[in-house]
Amino acid sequence: MHPIRCIPWGADLAKILVIEDDNETADEIVTALSDRGYRPARASTGTEGLERARDSDWDALVVDRMLPGLDGLAVIETLRNENVMTPVLVLSALSAVNERIRGLRAGGDDYLAKPFALGELTARLEALLRRPAAPRETTLRVGPLELDLLERTARRGHRALDLLPREFRLLDYMMRREGQVLTRAMLLEQVWNYRFVPQTNLVDVHIGRLRRKLDGPDENPMILSVRGVGFMLHAPA
Amino acid sequence: MRLPEALRSTTFRWTLAIAGAVAACNLFMAACFYLRTTMYLTSNIDAAIAEAASLIAASSPEDATESIIHRLRDDPRRVKLAGLFNPDGKRLLGNIATLPGTLALDGHAHATVLPRIDSNGTEAQSARAVAIRQPSGNIVVVGRDVDGMRDVAATVDRGIVLQLVPALLLALILGAWLSVRAQRRVEEMRAQASRIISGELQARLPIRQTRDPLDRLAIIVNRMLEEIEMLVRALAGVGDDIAHDIRTPLTRVRATLERGRESARSLGDLQAVTDRAIAGLDQSLAVVTALLRIAEIDHHRRLAAVDAVQLAETLRAVAEFYEPIAEDKGVALELEIETAAPVTGDRDLIFEAVANLVDNAVKFTPSGGQVLIALLHRGDGPVIRVADTGPGIREDEREKVIRRFYRSDKSRGAQGGSQGFGLGLSLVAAIVKLHGFRLVVASGAGCVVEIICGAGEPGEVELLPERLAAAPVALAAE
Repeated sequence: MHPIRCIPWGADLAKILVIEDDNETADEIVTALSDRGYRPARASTGTEGLERARDSDWDALVVDRMLPGLDGLAVIETLRNENVMTPVLVLSALSAVNERIRGLRAGGDDYLAKPFALGELTARLEALLRRPAAPRETTLRVGPLELDLLERTARRGHRALDLLPREFRLLDYMMRREGQVLTRAMLLEQVWNYRFVPQTNLVDVHIGRLRRKLDGPDENPMILSVRGVGFMLHAPA
Repeated sequence: MRLPEALRSTTFRWTLAIAGAVAACNLFMAACFYLRTTMYLTSNIDAAIAEAASLIAASSPEDATESIIHRLRDDPRRVKLAGLFNPDGKRLLGNIATLPGTLALDGHAHATVLPRIDSNGTEAQSARAVAIRQPSGNIVVVGRDVDGMRDVAATVDRGIVLQLVPALLLALILGAWLSVRAQRRVEEMRAQASRIISGELQARLPIRQTRDPLDRLAIIVNRMLEEIEMLVRALAGVGDDIAHDIRTPLTRVRATLERGRESARSLGDLQAVTDRAIAGLDQSLAVVTALLRIAEIDHHRRLAAVDAVQLAETLRAVAEFYEPIAEDKGVALELEIETAAPVTGDRDLIFEAVANLVDNAVKFTPSGGQVLIALLHRGDGPVIRVADTGPGIREDEREKVIRRFYRSDKSRGAQGGSQGFGLGLSLVAAIVKLHGFRLVVASGAGCVVEIICGAGEPGEVELLPERLAAAPVALAAE
């Protein structure tokens, strides 16, 4: 089975409202979301979307930037002003360079430029649905893996791991999102703090290094590759 | 048909304007001449009549009478005026009918109108006149008619006509000639331009080597045409390149799917085939994405997120980012920071530009080679330099590598996989242009690319072979 289908966490509870005017895109998104066990609903105009978003409790919203009637950003701003804090993923065909900042400023939690891979959309949505553990914690644990955030040390079982600062950050990020698919773009944005598409599969190389340090010769691998999408850290069975 | 058009031309109008200006100038000069002449003549008359009047006034009554009669005796042009009046203003002698009340008896010349009386009858004459009261109470008046001064005006008028008419005619003829000449050149240029419009891109505007404004304009336009012709020819090639870069992975995908359909025996087999197909499609998509990204950056007139960017930090991040892949390839990646000066720009885009340069450098440098990322301090601002010990870029290809989609197959052969797009440098060039920086591509023992963040003519791509030719080696030694 494809790993994405085995999302263990209560995804079936998640109700997601997709506000998107383009029928084809909306259908694709809705299908992909229900395939993954979410309960999606769709609104095709800004006004309808705003009403439905107010009407019931959603776990997340997917909002297109350009909508007939009421603009996507206006929808988000209105909701935020009414203290609706549901996580929002903004979709836009507009240039990522300018629009991303505006999207986030309006109250969106993440931004995805069209056209996008559906895997990217669901991974980002899942990240929004599962906000990571409070950053106050000083020790992260996933299975045998332990990360001491104060001492800046890592160990798997009894074996100490010698990590470079960036590898430490990478592992930190992945451990907070255990069992969650993380795309290359997400890792670049969050761990390296830069938004760009490298011409070489650099993220894979960095993950490869981390993997070699993490998994001893006879140990079960902890970082899975999710083909066509990204990577996932999980506790070995 | 040509002449009326020529007469409407700007050249002709300018000639007319200049001729008009010359005429106005002439008129002004004539007026000055007229005024000066009349002033001179008046002052001469004034001096003469004042002297005569004072002489007559000072002499005995008999001498005065004699002088006045003598004075009036020989006057064929009827310009002389003289008279003697008793203290009540009654005429005693002379050719002035009455004494004008307005004439001051001060011995100075004044302009006035005197009624002349002689054998021809009575006539009012404009005159200069002097009046003096004698000790006996009689009044002596001596004057001179100045209507004759109109002769001067007539002479001047004739001068003007003789001067202006030929000058204006000459101006008209010259203007028409110049205009026809200019018209003919414009016509030639129009003919050439319509050839260019109809697709003859190699056609140029005619140049006469006269260095006149029209010639200089033609030279500028020709230079522009050259650039346009080059761009159009380059664009024509781009279509083929795009098709090639997208078709290659697509062909592979097709073959994979075809083989998979024939030979897959299990779901696992089929999934493996699908995965390979998806990877191939991703590769085609990456080409399109990169192309759109360049277009997006190209179309931005200004930066959205401008900030002070710490270049040292950016370069460190890029170096760290590429360190593993360089190490895997056996390429030494070195970082040299010379300055801490920040630049104004978009942090992500500058990172992207440097990352692309380093990406290329690592990609094309063989195992055992070296890539240097340096932040140099120069007088006019910081310079980002990425130098490698790879095969370099041939001089004739340097400009082309910056063009969208150029694949330098010969010297920097495509390395297969997802690594062979010639888009990296185009992207860098677009980002550099957006920032108003300069991009310098040089090659000697390896490839050297510099982003010059300082002042200067922005947005230019420079190719400086000599200055940087030995740079990678020199830097490696430092």
